[in-house]
Amino acid sequence: MKLGRFSLFGLLAAVFLLTTLVVSAQDVVTIEWWTVNSEEFDEQVQRDLVEQFNAEHPDIQVNMTLLPASGFDERMTTTLGAGQGAPDVAFFWINNWLPQALDIEPYLEADPDLGPENYFENFWNTRAVWNDTVVGLPLGVGANFVIYNKDVFDAAGVEYPTADWTTEDYNALASQLADEETRTWGGDRPRGPYRAIWYNYGAKVYSDDSTTVDGYLNSPESVASYTWLWDLVNSGATPTPADLEILGTEGTGPIDLFIAGRLAMATLNQGHMLNLIDEGINFGIVPEPAAPGSELRHANAWSLTASIWKGTEHPQEAYEWLSYWAGPEGQQFLMENGNLIPSMPDVLATYENADTEYAQAFFEVLELPQVAQWDNAHPCKGSVMSAVSDAWDLVNLGEIERDEVQATLDSLVPVGQAALDECLTRLGG
Amino acid sequence: MLATWRNMNPLARREAAEGYISLLPWAIGFLVFTVMPVGASIVLGFTRWNIVEPPVWIGLDNYVRMFTADPMFWQALKVTGLFVLISLPLKLVLGLGLALLLNLKLPGMNFFRTVFYIPAVISGVAVSLMWMWLLQPDTGVVNTILYYMGIEGPGWFWDRNWALPSVALMSIWKVGGSAIIYLAGLQNIPAHLYEAAEIDGASRWRRFWRITLPLLTPTLFFQLVIELIDSFKIFTEAFVITQGGPLRSTYFYLLYFYETAFQNFNMGYASALAIVLMVIILSATVFVNYTSKRWVYYEAE
Repeated sequence: MKLGRFSLFGLLAAVFLLTTLVVSAQDVVTIEWWTVNSEEFDEQVQRDLVEQFNAEHPDIQVNMTLLPASGFDERMTTTLGAGQGAPDVAFFWINNWLPQALDIEPYLEADPDLGPENYFENFWNTRAVWNDTVVGLPLGVGANFVIYNKDVFDAAGVEYPTADWTTEDYNALASQLADEETRTWGGDRPRGPYRAIWYNYGAKVYSDDSTTVDGYLNSPESVASYTWLWDLVNSGATPTPADLEILGTEGTGPIDLFIAGRLAMATLNQGHMLNLIDEGINFGIVPEPAAPGSELRHANAWSLTASIWKGTEHPQEAYEWLSYWAGPEGQQFLMENGNLIPSMPDVLATYENADTEYAQAFFEVLELPQVAQWDNAHPCKGSVMSAVSDAWDLVNLGEIERDEVQATLDSLVPVGQAALDECLTRLGG
Repeated sequence: MLATWRNMNPLARREAAEGYISLLPWAIGFLVFTVMPVGASIVLGFTRWNIVEPPVWIGLDNYVRMFTADPMFWQALKVTGLFVLISLPLKLVLGLGLALLLNLKLPGMNFFRTVFYIPAVISGVAVSLMWMWLLQPDTGVVNTILYYMGIEGPGWFWDRNWALPSVALMSIWKVGGSAIIYLAGLQNIPAHLYEAAEIDGASRWRRFWRITLPLLTPTLFFQLVIELIDSFKIFTEAFVITQGGPLRSTYFYLLYFYETAFQNFNMGYASALAIVLMVIILSATVFVNYTSKRWVYYEAE
């Protein structure tokens, strides 16, 4: 009898224990997170971050899936398009995906520890806000700036550029530094029009209200920008497109030429800057030059939008992970253990080399108005630029004379307008 | 068909059933991976669709725009057509010429056959990068050699007049793949025909013209169709090297399609572009097939 009671008690205890375990298991929410490997955060660093988060949040488990960069785009596009199988949290770095991102404003408002004030304002505006909704958090930052090789300048007896320099100074310095005998070029050329220097001239490819190309593509500001490029191309002080393509590195900038001392000035980014530190190159940083007589200054800068998928079944838990990953904890971790440059000024202030001359110059570039501010608000820019790319090719290949720049741009206005009209129709006006 | 099935004896029925079951995996694959995507493309060609939002039915608008208001479409079509006209005859003639050389009974010929076939199995991207280096105007191997010969080399991929011929040159380099198929055709020609012609005093040229070429026409026909389709599908070289430039001189049809679909996410218009290309290739293939009755000779005929 005793044995029977004991057995019954034991059975009840086992059932209770099992039920508790099952309930506990059900309480744990799994968040699917897709990411990629990069120079800023490699796989192991990201796995360590997930492990740290999972340990601190026993009720949420993040399941990390690492995808190759190209496969990432394809899988995101297809799963978002299908409306199923997309991850709870991921980079939404293609603007076309943003309609499928959850508006996180209510979650941010309820979060006492995180808000727009924690991020660089420019990056918040360009990467977190889209169509007046908060579609994600900006993770990490990057920017282009002109890096100059101090040793090459010293050898040529030329003064270093300063932050208030102009495009005329750029061409003059490039010509002074170019040396045919040693096959050294003075400076590289931009990798496309309507980037920082074009905006510094006040040039835009079409009107702010996205209706008109005439008077913008062929405006005096656009003509001045292209004419500056024409002068640079024809000075012989800059590598040809063929040189840049062959001797450059994966289209991100001619870092190899710069390290080899064959290019005195190059428009590069913070990743290249770290390469130069590793290589022991004696370099300095300045923003891209302004137009002569102008105060306008822009930076070609970027960040990655980390978002929650609209279709997630666990928005609160997804927000917990998102705000950890792209919040101060995550960005601090990725900065200290990887190469991430955080998008949060307070975190960036703790950067180990924050006091160096080059870091300070880089931080100043991060504060500049961004090319992306206009670009992100004008989704037809790519289509119009593609339609009018002949102007870029003709100047770059040296196929037109200096006084033909205006006529060339004038001739492309109808093509650009047609592309703009088509794009607007496609996007529903 | 049902009557045929009823008239079959049990063994024949079993054999037929086994045959159909064996065909089933291919049939399912064809249905799922070919018929359905083509069908979906036809339908999507009548829509405006950016993938992440539902498609909107717009009737024939995509086709109307393509033929009446899209200069890029005509430019891409022109460049691709030119490429087909330049590269297709060259590939056919050089492939046949190479096969004739590889068919010679010389020691070590298997080595040469292997060497010439290698380009056909190397990744298109790797080949493109290699050609970029070879044809770099200032430091490339080709222009350096030309320089020592006293010739100023052209700008190749970076010159609007030379970019398209440069891509055609690249495609010719892979001619070893088609040479192997010609070689198989050449080796199927009965030797006694050559022996009889030689006894009759036929010259080498006459033997080629009267025996080799006619008996090789089925292979030529096959190669013509395959190379024709392949030429219309030119993409990797432009995507990796020229991005369609300079001045759109290498703006091939599939590059335009790719930009439309995967950079601008204009899937409806891209589907319409794909359908038009399919119709062009299909028409060209049907035309070649129609003319084949006049110039292709099969041994049994």
